[in-house]
Amino acid sequence: MPRNTKGLEVAEIIPDSCIGCQICLSECPVGAIRLSAEGVAVIDPEACVGCGKCSDVCPVEAVRFEKKRRQKVTQERKKDFTEGLVGYQGVAVFIEVLNGRGAPVSWELIGKGRELAAKRKARVIGLLLGYQMKEIAEEAIAYGCEEVQVIDNPLLQSYLSQTYGEALADLCRRIKPEILLLGATPLGRDLSGSVATHLNTGLTADCTALDIDEEKGYLLMTRPTFGGNIMATIYCQVHRPQMSTVRPKIMKASAKDSNPKGDIHFQPWNPPAGEMAKIIDFLKETPQAGSVDIGQAPALVVAGKGACDPASMPLLQELADLIGGVVACSRPVVESGLMPYERQVGQTGKTVAPKLYIGVGISGAVQHLVGMQGSEKILAINSDPQAPIFRVADVGLVGNYLQVVPALVASLKKKLGSV
Amino acid sequence: MHFVCCIKQVPDTAEVKIDPQTNTLIRSGVASISNPFDMVALEAALRLKEQYGGKVTAISMGPPQAEQVLREALSLGADETILLSDRPFAGADTLATSYTLVKAIERLNRHLPVDLVLCGKQAIDGDTGQTGPNIATRLGYTQLTYVVAIQWIDENKRQIQVCRKVEGGIEVIRGPLPALVTAELELAKPRRASLPLLIRSLRSEVKVWRAEDIQADPQKLGLKGSPTWVKKIFSPPVREGGPKFYAHEDLQGAVEKSLEALLADKKFASQLLSHWEA
Repeated sequence: MPRNTKGLEVAEIIPDSCIGCQICLSECPVGAIRLSAEGVAVIDPEACVGCGKCSDVCPVEAVRFEKKRRQKVTQERKKDFTEGLVGYQGVAVFIEVLNGRGAPVSWELIGKGRELAAKRKARVIGLLLGYQMKEIAEEAIAYGCEEVQVIDNPLLQSYLSQTYGEALADLCRRIKPEILLLGATPLGRDLSGSVATHLNTGLTADCTALDIDEEKGYLLMTRPTFGGNIMATIYCQVHRPQMSTVRPKIMKASAKDSNPKGDIHFQPWNPPAGEMAKIIDFLKETPQAGSVDIGQAPALVVAGKGACDPASMPLLQELADLIGGVVACSRPVVESGLMPYERQVGQTGKTVAPKLYIGVGISGAVQHLVGMQGSEKILAINSDPQAPIFRVADVGLVGNYLQVVPALVASLKKKLGSV
Repeated sequence: MHFVCCIKQVPDTAEVKIDPQTNTLIRSGVASISNPFDMVALEAALRLKEQYGGKVTAISMGPPQAEQVLREALSLGADETILLSDRPFAGADTLATSYTLVKAIERLNRHLPVDLVLCGKQAIDGDTGQTGPNIATRLGYTQLTYVVAIQWIDENKRQIQVCRKVEGGIEVIRGPLPALVTAELELAKPRRASLPLLIRSLRSEVKVWRAEDIQADPQKLGLKGSPTWVKKIFSPPVREGGPKFYAHEDLQGAVEKSLEALLADKKFASQLLSHWEA
């Protein structure tokens, strides 16, 4: 093993094995590992303290290190990773306004923000943009913000990427929060990408879990990736604020405080110059006849390729009515023209998580499974006992759906009659 | 008019798994495809060109094999293609990716002014939906995300009007060019390649630009330019399949038994039987 000038035996990267995953960079207690221009890790032998942590975490054995020579890392050798980030404090939550009211996801984020702030011994700060926002600011305090920073301006009455992006970035430059959370709503996703670019900081989208790294204090952001097949925990070491969008209905809102305490500050703002986009019209989604939001239905009967037959639709509809749900489908059924795109479950359709999912003739392609695995109970009906859907189904019924579904309907009717 | 379309090569996410031994992604043997949302964006660009005239340039950042998605773009009717491929580009997060794409768009713009950039609303591997807003913000273009229809472009007045999907409905919005559009699936249905174009795509050259070709700051590229890093990856908790009942032996019995299993959870059963009101 190589030694450095202090005589310490140090770890070494085997460049040909390194896959550039960066895990050792975050693990090194002294920040001795950098990435080269070639995208592989390089250890500075003079900075290395020979603790071997990089070798422990390397997933591909690309670190040359003899474990029995391991050196203990003393506290004073540890470099504080956050030393360049002085001045950034507090957990900020962007308060989204939807139809003149605070969006539920914002209250959920305040709940989570309080938890994170407690671990960081910091405050929860609401960031609010709009026009005549006093009431919503007060509501944010009732939900747990210790202060709310508002830019109140007629130009912010309706959402535009440009004005909101610049205003929120301005607010962050002034308030310097350590963490900034936004809802992963259409508006939040549009806005966060713009703000992160203005602030030149890291953004992790669509998180399902947030926590604080106990040792280093940074935000750990966990999100599904590769269509939900894999979970990744992301962090942002040297840029602030650490930004994250969080899906609605994942975090729990804290209860409203009936006697809240918090300060509301109105901040000045210079609107950007130049020509702006203009909203010409808003076409409210009016439920047309037969139009449904399958994402909101408590129960779904989902038709697959194996049940893609116009003649069997009334049968599936009857089952759906019985369980208080609606009929949805997989992609091939949409492609056949039998059902509209709005009813498609799966990766390129809608992600659903009903209380009851009944798959009829669904084989269970992964693209479909990632869109429904969050369902509370899954009943699968398919004639092929090997169909992948059975691997995620709580209950499987192997058989021809044309026989099984009528029997199921009859049996359910009996049960419903007895209630 | 000059339409620039950004296309990402993605692994067919249905096939990506984690190696339980090493906890790393198994990518070998996984087929690569063009991100479906980007192909919708390309289709929209091709239709705009047919309507308003001009040129469609398709760009992609990725390893040399990402050339495949650009050949596909050529076979569908793209006029020119640029592959951004260089070792320093590797390992980029969305911020570094958008920087690289923007440097390339700036170079294209010097040659022939860009009117509209089109991207998919998100890629199916990362699902972040950030690259579009990042690019628009860096370039100072009008940012139009989640677009379901491009209503018109007025070349003289330099205006575009689109329909965007927002919470609770559709927003009709008009803004100045140049602009950036990110495509929802409803925006357009991708065409199939025609035989002459397919042959042309195999013969055409896909240009490769490296870091020096786009005058990029090496500090802002790839892993170095990426503020977010991966701490760990893991498999999501898997559901376990429950009992199976076979109807071909005893239809009634199988149905009864499966209902029994489904309703074994009393709370769930009472919710179901009361149509979810309890």
